[in-house]
Amino acid sequence: MNILDEVKKEFVRDLAQSGKRADERSPEEYRKISLEHGLITTAEGSAQVKMGKTQVLAGVKLGTGMPFPDRPKEGVFSTNAEFLPLASPTFESGPPSEESIELARVVDRGIRSSNAVDVASLFIGEGPDGKSLVWSVFLDLYILDHDGNLIDAAALAAMAAIRTAQMPKFEDGKVIRTETTGKIPSKNDSVECTFAKIGDRIYLDPSYDEEVGMDCRFTAATTPGHICACQKGGRGALTTKELDYCMDLALRKGDELRRLLPG
Amino acid sequence: MTKDLFSGGKRLDGRGLDELRPLTIKAAVLNKAEGSAYVEWGGNKILAAVYGPRECIPRHDMDPYRAVLRCRYRMSPFASKDEHGRSGPNRRATELSKVIRETFENVVLLEQFPKTQIEIFVEVLQADGGSRCASVVAASVALADAGIPMKDMVSAVAVGMINGKMALDLTGAEDNFGESDIPVAVAARNKDVLLFQMDGELTKEQVNEALRMAVKASDEIHAKQVAALMEVYESKMAAQGGNSD
Amino acid sequence: MGKIVVPGEVVAEDRRPGFGVHVDGGKTYSSVIGLLDEKEGRVIALQGPYIPRIEDWVIGVVEEVKYAGYDVEIKSPYTGFISTKMTRAEFKLGDVVGAKVANIDEARNIDLMDPRRLTGGEILEISAMKVPRVIGKKNSMIDTIIQLTRSEVMVGRNGRIWIKGGNSAAAAAAILMIEREAHTTGLTDRVTDFLKREVGK
Repeated sequence: MNILDEVKKEFVRDLAQSGKRADERSPEEYRKISLEHGLITTAEGSAQVKMGKTQVLAGVKLGTGMPFPDRPKEGVFSTNAEFLPLASPTFESGPPSEESIELARVVDRGIRSSNAVDVASLFIGEGPDGKSLVWSVFLDLYILDHDGNLIDAAALAAMAAIRTAQMPKFEDGKVIRTETTGKIPSKNDSVECTFAKIGDRIYLDPSYDEEVGMDCRFTAATTPGHICACQKGGRGALTTKELDYCMDLALRKGDELRRLLPG
Repeated sequence: MTKDLFSGGKRLDGRGLDELRPLTIKAAVLNKAEGSAYVEWGGNKILAAVYGPRECIPRHDMDPYRAVLRCRYRMSPFASKDEHGRSGPNRRATELSKVIRETFENVVLLEQFPKTQIEIFVEVLQADGGSRCASVVAASVALADAGIPMKDMVSAVAVGMINGKMALDLTGAEDNFGESDIPVAVAARNKDVLLFQMDGELTKEQVNEALRMAVKASDEIHAKQVAALMEVYESKMAAQGGNSD
Repeated sequence: MGKIVVPGEVVAEDRRPGFGVHVDGGKTYSSVIGLLDEKEGRVIALQGPYIPRIEDWVIGVVEEVKYAGYDVEIKSPYTGFISTKMTRAEFKLGDVVGAKVANIDEARNIDLMDPRRLTGGEILEISAMKVPRVIGKKNSMIDTIIQLTRSEVMVGRNGRIWIKGGNSAAAAAAILMIEREAHTTGLTDRVTDFLKREVGK
């Protein structure tokens, strides 16, 4: 941890006491968001989200493989996140940190719970050896520039990549990547909204400095009208009233984010 | 496995033997890194960033006389149009990290920052032949963008033999089906060769021809690197002690 | 104002060692991206780490308390040190201090003197290269900011600026504006107008 972070922490908390934010946003306001999709042509789907100065790239690749033994008729969906050392002086090379693993699992949960990737529709059939064959959807979240709230940016990029991905053709036991057969089957569009608790205030879309100063954070993944995943992070505490406020706001703000999705 | 890599005297993408693929470079694309650059070269999309000089960690790696240069080259799991790649380091990435680092150890003025470390990170977001050369091109711009003092800038390009002919700047397909791949990095000013690898079976004359083609192309690449920096810095120019008004 | 040069570009046809340049075989080349001063054959870097010079005022954070003194992080590849022989004041881990660079030896040990604790307020970080512009000719720019906002401001050459009290938000906004527009003309007037509007609110 950077020694200056202690100084930043005090500054952010002082501002929060008077209900202010360093960049003058309101407590319920996202930073400027931009979304671009299809930029990585080697991936079946891709999208880059900029949320303020945070930049996240999501890539989706498809392959075939064996299903999980306990779900023999379902496709496989897996998510990995890389906190690239180029994204922040605080990210180191090496095995995945607990933060990157948590982020991957939280984004994954939002997509899985809502069937934003409909794994039940990804069964291909029996292979020549009698074994089941299913589609595998690989989601990779690449953090490129860290200025806070990686979860929401990653989840939005992930959803955009999934929505715009083109499935390759499967014929005679082989994946033919030069031909596409349409979109990945999906039942819902899921997005995530993260809040930081700083003293008594709850702020949507924390910047890096706000994350340094916060007591804890809360993320809610939503589909229209429903909450499909939640995660509290950090050692501070939340009251049930605060959780109710956050979920309510997440449902509203989720719709705003969904309007940014392409396709 | 052979493949005809020519059609009507031209390469499959329409280029002549000594033509470069389209190359665009942007500097200062990331906020947190000290310096950064993004390169699109043919089908390659490469992001490079530089951190430092900063404290050398771990301490026992520290050199009391000069900065320690580190380089990490990685390919994203979605960089190839084929299968999803497993994440994490592999032996090819380790080797490339080393040869790229050694390229820059030659030009970075390491003695100016003893006891520190300077880190170069290269992420290949999308690959299509020549990604290590594109990485060198990107890293050179990122180092300059970070204000790291260097003797010179470095450009790089791969030459190869395809269907018996020497060709500049191979695509992924040409590299796969060709007979030889020769990545070369040169210092812009005096054309010192700072990275040089080769595979296949060639005569000495053929290798010299490859080197000649690479050095010739380096001027065009260097001009684009300089233009990318100018684009950013001409609009960011700082005045000296407030004497502009 | 000179032209921009990049590493490896010729800046003089003879040997002129100095900052921002590299001498090789009878000629001098730029080693960084910077502004060329053709007459002197010097390059003023536009980017790069802050390298302390003697007499610079810097703002740092105490990162280790030792028996003989304090290690101070000063946003530089090297750490500053306040010896207990140089000061009667006592500092704690995490204290923000303003201090002057007293000495730098070959091993890059940086000795600081005249330290003072800066309590409260906020720390702004900008590129060290832009600090001269924030200060202005004969302190003209920083004096304008202090006068109009009535804030206490301490400018560190290492790119850290401490602001306390008065209309500190306006002072911070003005400084960030200078950092963004450092290359433009008429900046002093624009900053003055901006501050008058902000303070009048």
